[in-house]
Amino acid sequence: MFTGIDIGGTNTDIAVIDSQINTYKVPNSDGLENALSKISTFGRLAVSTSQPLNEIITGHTADIRTITIPGPGLVYPGAVKGAVSHRGDIVEPIDPNEIQKIIKGQHARAIAIAGKFSVRNDTLEKQVYDIVSQYYSDEQIAISSPIGALDFPARIHTTKFNARIKGKVVSLIRQIQRVNPDFYFVTSTGGLTSPSRALLNPMVLFHSSPATVANGAYYLSRNENCLVIDIGGTTTELVPLKDGKPVYESVVLDGSKTLIRAVSATSIPYGGDSCIRSELCPFRAGNSRSFGGGEPTLTDALNVMGARIGDAGRSAVLDHADAQRAVHQYLELVSSAVKEYHPHILVGTGYLAHYLLSDIAERAQTTGIVPEHAASANAVGAAVSKVSLEVHIHVDTERKRLTLNGLSYPYKDARDEEHLIAYVKELIRDIARKEGAPEEDIADIQVLSYSSYDVVRGWRVTATITDMILAIAPGISVEAL
Amino acid sequence: MTCGIVYAPSYLNHEQSPSHPERRERLSYTLDQLVEEGIFDLPQITLLTPKPATRDDVLLVHTPEYLQFLEKTSITGGIIDADTYVPKDLIHDALLAAGGAITGADAVLNQVVKNCFVLARPPGHHAGRSQGAGFCYLNNVAIMVRHLQRRGLRRIMILDWDAHHGNGTEEIFYDDPSVLFCSVHQYPFYPGSGRFEDIGVGDGKGYNINLPIPAGSSDKVYQYLLEEIILPLADEYMPDAIAISAGQDNHFTDPLTGLALTAHGYAGLMQEICILADSICYGRIIAVLEGGYSVEGGLPYTNLGLIAAMAGLDISNIREPEIYQDILEKVISEDALPQVIKMVSELKKKLSDHWYFIRRYDFR
Repeated sequence: MFTGIDIGGTNTDIAVIDSQINTYKVPNSDGLENALSKISTFGRLAVSTSQPLNEIITGHTADIRTITIPGPGLVYPGAVKGAVSHRGDIVEPIDPNEIQKIIKGQHARAIAIAGKFSVRNDTLEKQVYDIVSQYYSDEQIAISSPIGALDFPARIHTTKFNARIKGKVVSLIRQIQRVNPDFYFVTSTGGLTSPSRALLNPMVLFHSSPATVANGAYYLSRNENCLVIDIGGTTTELVPLKDGKPVYESVVLDGSKTLIRAVSATSIPYGGDSCIRSELCPFRAGNSRSFGGGEPTLTDALNVMGARIGDAGRSAVLDHADAQRAVHQYLELVSSAVKEYHPHILVGTGYLAHYLLSDIAERAQTTGIVPEHAASANAVGAAVSKVSLEVHIHVDTERKRLTLNGLSYPYKDARDEEHLIAYVKELIRDIARKEGAPEEDIADIQVLSYSSYDVVRGWRVTATITDMILAIAPGISVEAL
Repeated sequence: MTCGIVYAPSYLNHEQSPSHPERRERLSYTLDQLVEEGIFDLPQITLLTPKPATRDDVLLVHTPEYLQFLEKTSITGGIIDADTYVPKDLIHDALLAAGGAITGADAVLNQVVKNCFVLARPPGHHAGRSQGAGFCYLNNVAIMVRHLQRRGLRRIMILDWDAHHGNGTEEIFYDDPSVLFCSVHQYPFYPGSGRFEDIGVGDGKGYNINLPIPAGSSDKVYQYLLEEIILPLADEYMPDAIAISAGQDNHFTDPLTGLALTAHGYAGLMQEICILADSICYGRIIAVLEGGYSVEGGLPYTNLGLIAAMAGLDISNIREPEIYQDILEKVISEDALPQVIKMVSELKKKLSDHWYFIRRYDFR
C-alpha cells in the first residue's frame, strides 16, 4: 500500500493506492495533525511539504548568522580564518577563539557555516560546528559540505536557507513519525528521500509540489509529452513533461542561484481561492464562501455559473455578470500562458480542473484531458515516486580519499575507470537500499558527468583525481506500476 | 561590460605524454577554483566557447610548409625538439588554441566583452614563423594580433610576461613597428635569447623591448618595470589593443623557473594594466595563457587573480595559502632589484633615440 500526502496552500491532499486509488482532501485549517490522523500506519508513506517550507522561505527575513571559511581567493562576508585546498588538504587552520568571539557576540536564530572546498574535506566546517554547537542546538546549525557540489557562493546561499528551515523540518519529522516512523519526504526533483538524508540539505524539500504534480499527472494519464496544468486553491502551475519526465532547473532565491534543482514550472498566482473584489485578485483572503469563507472567489464564481462546489448557496452574493467576468479573466490569463508552450495535449489536475480545463484547452486551441483522481494528482504523485539521489564524488588516489556529497567514504584502489564507477555505484545503491528502495528502482544508475586527470610530480604520475556526478533518477517506483 | 573567459573542456585534451609538464592537470585546479568561486555565475563574467582557427588564420603568421608539417605529423605523431613532441591529432588542439585567441579578440572588438582571458592550451610564444619549440606549435598571440590588424586595428602592444623569453613572437614581429613587443623574462634562461640589446631591425627598430631579469625577482621588480618602462611605453605608443602572453611561470612555486612573483603581485600587475588600457585603448586587453607549471600552489591563484582584476573584482584576498610562505622566503633575492635597475638604465640608453619618455626623463 502506498500513501502520498501533499500539503498545499489551501488543502492537504491524501492518496492511498493499493488495488485501487482513493483520494481525500483535508482543509489545512483543520491542521496537519488532523490530516495525519486519517491515514493508516501501514505501508509506505511519502510526504510533500513544500508549502509550509515555502512560507518560511518567502516570509519575513530570519536572523541567520553566516560564518564563511573562504581561504585565499575572492572576498566573502563573514569570513574567518582557515582554508582547504582543491585537493581537500587543510592548508590553514581555523582559530577557535575567533569563532567563540563571533558566537558570543550575537544572538541569531540559526547559524550557517560554509567553507570553500568543504565538499572535498569537511573537517574545518565540522570544527566550527563543534564550537557553535556549544551555544546552539543541532537544528539551528547548517553546514555546507553535504550539498556536495562546487560553487561556494551558491553553497553559502543554500546553507543560509538550510539554517532557516532546518528547525521546521525537524518538527515536521517528529509530527509525521508519530504516524509512520519510516516515512519519506518528496524532494524538489520528485524523488524520495529519508528524513535523515533530508536534514543534511533541507532545501531539497523546497518546491516539491510541481514535482509531485508532474509524477501524478504522468502516472494517471500515461501521457509522455504534454503540458500539465495544476489548478490549486492559491496558484495555477504549468509543468511541461517530455518523455514522461519534467524539466529541471536551478532554483534562484532572492536573486541568487542556489544549488537546489527543481522541476521547472510556470506559476500563475491565481487559483480557486483567488478572491473577487472589483475583479479577480492574485491572492487569497481566506476560504471560498462555499467553504465557509467571507469573500467571494473564483470557486464561488463557478458556482454562480452553475457548478456545485461545496455549499453553492453561499456563493450567490456574486451577481452573474461579475462571476462571468472573473472566470473569463482567469481563462484569458491562463490560456495565454498555456499557448506559450504550444502543447499537443493539456492534462488538467487539481480540484478545479474538471470545471475549467475544457474552456482553457479551447482557448489555447489544444486538446484537454482530465484523468480520474486528477483532483489529488499531487498526492498520487507523492505516493508513487521512487527513492532518488544525486551524488558528487571526488576521488584522489594519492590521498586515498573518496568524498561523496562532502562526506568521507571508504576509499578503494580501483584498477581503472570501469572498476571505480562500479564501486561508487554500489556505494550509492547501498545508501538507497538502507532507505528501503527496492532493487528494481536502483538497478539503473546514471553517470551524469565524469572527468579524470593525472597528477604529475617530477615527471612521474603520482596520483589520479576523478570527479563524477552519479544519480538514481527520480521517477515512478517500479512497485507502483 | 564584462570580462570574457574563453574556455572549452577540449582545452584539456592536449597531452604530449602522460608525465609532460605541459599537461591537462595545469588547468584542472584552476577550473576547480573558478567553479568553486562561482566565477561563471557572476554578471561581470561571460564564458565564450572557442572556435578553431582556419588555415588562413594560421597563414597570417606561419609558413605554408610549417603548417603542412604539423598537419602531416599529426597523423603519424612526431617530434620537433626534446621538449616538444607532436602527439597524434595535435593539429586540432593547436588550431583550437589559436582559434580561442581569435574568439577572444573578436568578442573584445565586437564589444561583447570589455577584455578577455583565453585559457588555451597548448601555449604558443616560442613558435616562430616556420618552427615550433618549447611546448609551442602555433603562435596563438601572434595569429591573434595579425587577425586584429586584419580587422582594422593599426598598432598592437604585446606584453609577454612569461618567465621564458617569447622568442617566437619576437622573431615574427622583429622588423614590424606596428606591433610593439615587450617581454619580461628570466635571464639567462631557456631559450637563451632575450638580451636587452635586441631592440628590433629596420622599421621595427625600437619596437622590440626585452626586459631580462635575474632569478629571485619579486613583486617589487615587476612593479618597478611596470612604472619605469611598461606603462610609459604603452602611454607613448598608444596601441589600439593590448595583447598579453600571460605565462604564469613567474610564480615563486613554479618548478621550472626561478622567479618570485606572488598571486597578489600578478593580480596587481593586471589591475594596473587594466587601468592603463581604460585610458588609452577602451580597455581592450586580450590575455592568452602561455606557460605556468605550478599546478597546485600557483596557477589556481594566479589565474583567479588575473580574472578578478580584469573583471574589476576585489583582489585584496588574492594570495596563496600560508603553507607556501616558506618557499617564497627562500626564492626571493634582494640582489635582483639593483641588477634590474642597472639593466634598465643601459636599456634606456639604447632606446632613447626611439622613445620620447626616456629622453624627457634624461633632461630632468
